[in-house]
Amino acid sequence: MGADLFSIGRSSMSASKKSMATTSHNIANANDDNFSRQQVTTETNTPVAEGDYVVGTGTNIREIKRVHNKLVEKKLNQSISKHQYNDERTTQLMNIEEIFNEINSDGMNKVLNRFFNSFRELSNQPDNEVVRTMVRDNARLVVEDFKRIDSSITGIKSNIDKKISTAVDELNQAANSIARLNKEIIRLENMGGETGDLRDQRDKAVRLIAEYVQINTYEDEKGQYVVNISGVGSLVAGGAVNKLKAGMIQGDRGNIRDQEGEMEMFFASNTNMKVSKSLRSGALKGLFDTRNNEIVQLRSQIDNLAYGLAKATNAIHRRGYVNGEVSFDQQGNPVSKNGQKVTGINFFKLPMTVDRAAEYLEISDEVQSDLNNITTALTPNSPGDNRIAIAISKLQHEKILGEGQETFEESYLKSVGTIGLKTAKSKIDTEQSAGILAQAKSIKQRISGVSIDEETANLVRYQQSYDASARVLRAADEMFDSVLGMMR
Amino acid sequence: MTRVSEASSFHAINHAVGKTKSRLEDIQLKGSNLKRIQKPSDDPIGNTELLAVRSIDIDNEQYLRNISYAKTQLSFTENAIEELTDLVMKAKELAIGQSSNFYDADIRRSVSKEINQIKRQMVSIGNRRMGNKYVFGGHKTLTRPFDEDGNYFGDNNRTKAEVSKDFFVNVNVPGKVVFFNGEEENIFNKPTPSPKEESPLDDNMQVNRNLASTDETNIEENSFDPVGGNIIKHIQSLENALLTNNPEIVQNILPVLDKDMDNLIRLRTELGSAINSIENAENNIEKTKLLNAEYKTKIEDADVAELFTDLTRQQNTLNATYKASSQLMNRSLLDFLR
Repeated sequence: MGADLFSIGRSSMSASKKSMATTSHNIANANDDNFSRQQVTTETNTPVAEGDYVVGTGTNIREIKRVHNKLVEKKLNQSISKHQYNDERTTQLMNIEEIFNEINSDGMNKVLNRFFNSFRELSNQPDNEVVRTMVRDNARLVVEDFKRIDSSITGIKSNIDKKISTAVDELNQAANSIARLNKEIIRLENMGGETGDLRDQRDKAVRLIAEYVQINTYEDEKGQYVVNISGVGSLVAGGAVNKLKAGMIQGDRGNIRDQEGEMEMFFASNTNMKVSKSLRSGALKGLFDTRNNEIVQLRSQIDNLAYGLAKATNAIHRRGYVNGEVSFDQQGNPVSKNGQKVTGINFFKLPMTVDRAAEYLEISDEVQSDLNNITTALTPNSPGDNRIAIAISKLQHEKILGEGQETFEESYLKSVGTIGLKTAKSKIDTEQSAGILAQAKSIKQRISGVSIDEETANLVRYQQSYDASARVLRAADEMFDSVLGMMR
Repeated sequence: MTRVSEASSFHAINHAVGKTKSRLEDIQLKGSNLKRIQKPSDDPIGNTELLAVRSIDIDNEQYLRNISYAKTQLSFTENAIEELTDLVMKAKELAIGQSSNFYDADIRRSVSKEINQIKRQMVSIGNRRMGNKYVFGGHKTLTRPFDEDGNYFGDNNRTKAEVSKDFFVNVNVPGKVVFFNGEEENIFNKPTPSPKEESPLDDNMQVNRNLASTDETNIEENSFDPVGGNIIKHIQSLENALLTNNPEIVQNILPVLDKDMDNLIRLRTELGSAINSIENAENNIEKTKLLNAEYKTKIEDADVAELFTDLTRQQNTLNATYKASSQLMNRSLLDFLR
């Protein structure tokens, strides 16, 4: 009988002690977002029959398990992917948008406008050197602004490329640690060990992957995680990792930008299958989307603008004659002066192709070297003739681009408008997905997070039960003493 | 009962504070320069409209410069023609006096000196410059248009200025039109349609219009006269007639001078109405500027009252969030377990 009391008291003490240890563990990790609180589950020992009665034999710790909800975790991962997609896209679009922001500063629109108006001014005073300087300066500003836009876009693009590389590296690392944890968890669980903390670590790695790509996870019959990238394929299956790779490949748009190559993502095991377009969400999709849509479109729009401007200006400028004396030979052809042409002069050095026109646009050498090579006169030897200057200034309102549908300004403003609209939409999406993500996190933390109050209460409770168990032992001891005293 | 953990309340507080703060920051930014639009995405449509209006503003500034230039040039021309009219008038008065047989050769010779003086003044008017430009030279603005004998070296081309979008006016009168008494239709006031450009992207573009120019109707170097077609020559003939004491020729010259006068007066009315139409254009641009300024304000300027109401509201929200959070965060069961 006394022996029973001892063993019941001991089982109770050890259960309380274990519970207190678990409570301390919870408190210790209260500030770790990846931690799921743990709970000690106890059950009664197998009762024994004693005479006519069945008597309890104390308590027994069944398991220590983390409090966790798979569905909530899945929902959280999805919200993470979605939010990271929006967030990354907003970041990149805002970078791009800044290139075209001329609310508080001068941008392409103003510079282009000044360019045309300087020709308008030149038409007032075709014989004025100062105005010619102004024309050339304004043209330079146009050229520089094209270069600024082009190099800024290129900068953002190569930044994105770097980000993609880093992201893929991190993704592979996370995949590796999932595979490693899969093995470790199986090993420990086979030995009956506690794996709550390891599972937390594995969930953390899964969440890291979810930041980059949308994933779909399930646990196989052995308790190992299988991680599939939605729309793409399996990344981790048990202990095996299907590694991803990012790298430059030959472009397929058939233009000279292809020489730079295109950033692409594929599985290391099958480099022929491009996967960037199959991604469903996540930061990587945000990066690829921006890089392959907005940046490509904007560059081509800006290139078209630069090329169209150069070509149209040149077409008119070539008809004009230089400022100064022009003589003719007997066939009526103008005689060149000091080896310099007197008509048929380009204003801009026309880029070789529309692709990269913004990068390669320059003022022609003739205009660069001599202001008198800016032509204003349609007829030779007519210093007061301003018809070329007027015609060039009128290009401002000609519908030249987009198959004769848009003026230069309209085309440029369309680009700015589009990027503005996309950024604005992306911002709203981000705000929304941030809300959803916060909610998902909060739901997860409500279930798995540590409440200090709760743990404090538990601590008191377990301490009391520990004290009480100790009392039981003392009572048993005293009873034992009494029995011994009877013998004396 | 919803379970609340440390982390869940921390996230909730963080989200609430973050959201309010980012709104507050946005408002403060707008408040700092009172602009509603800071980036294209703040109002994508408004932003492009704003840029378009700004372009129109710059265009209009340029048109105003063109207008002031055109007005200066036209008034300069008008003054010159007025002086020229006075000189013709004076010559005519002298000629009328000398057309009778009342005066003898000596007097006629001395009058001829006066006429010679008038002729020189006319040449100097014909060679008048604005800045370094000869105003009566047509497009040959750097060549002296008239020599001592009244021979013309300029051409018959007119220069145009765009005084408002697609509205061109002639800003010069070639010497040929002023001094040569030709039949000339009203060359001012004629709005020229916007020059239509064949797609300049086509390299083989043919200029099948006169780039920004009017139709060059050739003025016949007309119409009358035995002595050669311009006012200076007419005055020279008068001088010669007086020198040779030939009142009959003087009489013959009188109707020619009348015709010259008519031509000059007609030109002056036309110049006057050209200046009028330029002033109209100027008024219109000034009106547009006002309207555009109003429009721009509407698009880009923040509504101050709304902005600051918003600011106060967001500040209150933030304060409330802080207060609520402090209540939650600084309380723990531990405080009550002694």
